[in-house]
Amino acid sequence: MRVVIAEDSVLLREGLERLLRENGLEVVGSAGNADDLLMSVRGRSPDVAIVDIRLPPTHNDEGMRAALQIRAAHPAVGVLVLSQYVEIGLAMKLLSESAEGAGYLLKDRIGDVKEFVAAVRRVASGGSAIDPLIVSTLLSRRRSDDPLGELTPREREVLELMAEGRSNQGIADKLVVTLRAVEKYVSSIFGKLGLPSSGSDSRRVLAVLLYLRA
Amino acid sequence: MRGELGEPLVIAFLGNWVTVSYVLCGLLAWSHRPGNRFGRLMIAAGFVNFVVTLSWTTNDLAFTIGQSLDLVPPVLFLHVFLAFPTGRLEGRFERGLIAAAYATAIGLQLVRMASGGFGPHNLLELGSHPAAGLAAVRVQLLAVSAFCVAGVGILAVRRLRTGRPLRRSLSLLVYVFALALLMIAALFLSHVFDGPAINQLRWATFAVLGLAPIAFLIGLLHDRLARSSVGDLLLQLRTEPDPAELRDGLARALRDPSLTLAYWLPDFGSYVDLGGRPVELPEGDRRKATTLIDREGAHVAALIHAPALDDEPELLAAVTAAAGIALENARLHAELRARLEELRGSRARILDAGQTERKRLERNLHDGAQQRLIALSLELGLWEEGLRDDPEARKRLHRARGEIATSLEELRAVARGLHPAVVSGHGLEVALEQLAARAAVPVRLQVDVASRLPERLEVAAFYLVSESLANVGKHAQASSASVELARAGGRVVIEIVDDGVGGADTERGSGLRGLADRVEVLGGRLRIWSPSGGGTRLRAEIPCAS
Repeated sequence: MRVVIAEDSVLLREGLERLLRENGLEVVGSAGNADDLLMSVRGRSPDVAIVDIRLPPTHNDEGMRAALQIRAAHPAVGVLVLSQYVEIGLAMKLLSESAEGAGYLLKDRIGDVKEFVAAVRRVASGGSAIDPLIVSTLLSRRRSDDPLGELTPREREVLELMAEGRSNQGIADKLVVTLRAVEKYVSSIFGKLGLPSSGSDSRRVLAVLLYLRA
Repeated sequence: MRGELGEPLVIAFLGNWVTVSYVLCGLLAWSHRPGNRFGRLMIAAGFVNFVVTLSWTTNDLAFTIGQSLDLVPPVLFLHVFLAFPTGRLEGRFERGLIAAAYATAIGLQLVRMASGGFGPHNLLELGSHPAAGLAAVRVQLLAVSAFCVAGVGILAVRRLRTGRPLRRSLSLLVYVFALALLMIAALFLSHVFDGPAINQLRWATFAVLGLAPIAFLIGLLHDRLARSSVGDLLLQLRTEPDPAELRDGLARALRDPSLTLAYWLPDFGSYVDLGGRPVELPEGDRRKATTLIDREGAHVAALIHAPALDDEPELLAAVTAAAGIALENARLHAELRARLEELRGSRARILDAGQTERKRLERNLHDGAQQRLIALSLELGLWEEGLRDDPEARKRLHRARGEIATSLEELRAVARGLHPAVVSGHGLEVALEQLAARAAVPVRLQVDVASRLPERLEVAAFYLVSESLANVGKHAQASSASVELARAGGRVVIEIVDDGVGGADTERGSGLRGLADRVEVLGGRLRIWSPSGGGTRLRAEIPCAS
C-alpha cells in the first residue's frame, strides 16, 4: 500500500513515516507543503495521501484546499486529513460528494498506532475514517422528537462505529460479537431511523452523518 | 468739456442727473453703512460734478474754479468704481493709477488754462499759447482714456480672481462700471481724433454714468434682502439649534451652497467637520476663500466659502455674529465627536493589536507544544506496539498516552480561546457549524453571506455566537435555539434567539458587556431582549461595506 504524507513539522513527518513503514505501508512521498504534495500525488500514484490541514505558507486552508483538489482530480487516491481541531463543517466539506476514500481525524489519533494504521488502510482502499469526536458531538444533540432516543445502548454503539467508517467485520471485532449480530443491529438501526439500507460502508457513513447533522 | 456744447438743455439735464443721483446714492450708502467710505466718495463725485458746472457762470472766480476741475469728474468716477465696495483702494497699483489720473486731470488743466483760450473769465491765463494748449488737451484726454481702460482691466482681473459674484445685482454693477469707463475712454478718444457723432456719444456717456448709482441702489435693496436672510437665520437658530442644521442655515443666509464649516479644535491644533473628521483649509486655492470666526477672543471656526463673498464683508460679519452661540455649540459638538473618533480609533487599534498577539500565540501553541506532544504520543505509541510481551510496560505507556491526550485537550481549549484559527482559515460558516453542533440544545443555523467577511468582523461574530450559545446552555434552560447571520444593506446582522426562561442580566453580566464591546469597536450595535419567561434574543448589527 503506497502512501504520501504532507506535514510541515519535520518531527511529526518523520514519526509518521516510521510508524507507517513499521506497519507494512510504503511511504512513497513526503512533502512539507501543498505544492510538493500535489506533485507527489501526480507522480507517485499513491493509494492514500495523509494531509495536515494547516500547511505553509499561511497555515490557513492550504492543506484543506489541496485535499479537496486531490479528491476532485484523483478520485482513486484516498485522502486522510489530519487536524488539531475537530470541525464538523470541514469534515462535511471534505465529504460533500461522498465519503468514499475520505477521512478526517484529529491529529492526536496517530498515537493509537493500531487504530490509526487501520484507518489509513481503510481510506486507502476506498473506505472512510471519521473522527469519533465528530460522531459523538453530532450524537450528543438531543431533540424532543428524536428517533435516536429509541435506539438501545448497543445499537447506539454500533451506530457510532458505523459513522466512523468501520465495516461490519470491524464493528464485530471491536465489540467482540459475531458478524451476524452486527448485521442485525445495523438493519434494526436503519429501520428505526427510517434510513434506506445502503450498499457500501462509506455510503452508509455519509447517510448516517447527514442524518445526524440535519 | 463745456467747449462744444450741443443742445444745452440735454447736457444740463444729464449733468444734473449725474450730480443728483451720485449725491443721493452716496447719502443713502453713508447712512446705510456709516463706517464705509464708499458713500462719502460717491457724494464727492456728485459734488465735484456740480462744481464743474460753475464754469458755465460769468463770475471770474467761479469760472476759474469750475474750469480748473473740468476733467476731475471722470477720474473721480474711476476712483469710485475701483474703490467699490469698501471705499478704499486695495492695491498699490490702483492707488498709483488714481493718483496719476488726478495729477493729469488737474495739472494739465492748469497748464491749458495758463496757455489761454478760455475766454475773459479765466483768472489763470498767463499768455496766449494755442499750440501748447492744444498739445496739453490731447495728452490729457489720451492719458485719462488710458487710465479708464486700465480701470476696466483691473475690474476684469478681479472678476477672474474671485469668480462670479453670488448676487446678480453685484454682477450688474460691475458691468455698468466697466461700460461707463469704456464710454469715457471712447468719448475722449473721439475728441482727440475728431470721431463721429460726438454729441450722441456724450449723452450716452452721461446716461451710463448715471446708471451706476441705480445699479448700486438695486444692490442696496438686495442687501436688505440679505439682512432679512440673517433674520431668518436668527429665527432658525432660536427654534432649532441643531448643530447639523447650522451649516445649511449659514449657506442659505450667505447664499453660498458650497459653504463648508470647519471647527477649530485647539487641543488637536486642527480643523474638523461636525462629525469630527479632519478638514483642510484651502490655501492657495483661488476658487475658495476662508473667513476665520472668533468669539470672545478665542478662535472658533472657519468658513470656507466662494471668494465672491469677500465683496460682502458686512453680510459675512452679520451672519457670523448671528450664528455666534450656535457656532460655539457646534464646535463643542465637533470636538466631542473628534475625541470619540480618536477613542474609537485607539480602541480598534488596541483590539487589533490584541487580536494579532492572540493569533501569534495560537500559532506558537499549534506549531510548538501541540505538535511536540503529538510526536511524543506517537513515539510512545510505537513503543507500546513493540512491547507485546510486556503487558505491564504497555499498560504504563498507554496511561502516559492518556495523560498526553488530556494535556492536548486542555491545550486545544486554551488555543481555541486565544484565536479561532478555523475562522481565519475557513470562514465563519464552517466555524459556526462546530459551535452549533457542540451547543447544549439543538441549534438551527442559517448563514447567508456570499463571500468572506473582514477577519475582525468574522472573529467578533464567532465569539458573539460562541458566548451566546454558552449562555444558552448555562442559564436559559432552553429547548432549542437559532443562529442567523445575514449580510444586507452594507451591514452584517447576527441574531441569536433561544426559547428559554429569559431575564438575562444585561447590566451586570460581564460576558454580555464584553460582547457589546466587541461589536461596538467595529462601529456596530448589540441589543438584547430578554423578558422574563420570554426567551432571549441578541441582535448585533455591524457595518460592513459591500
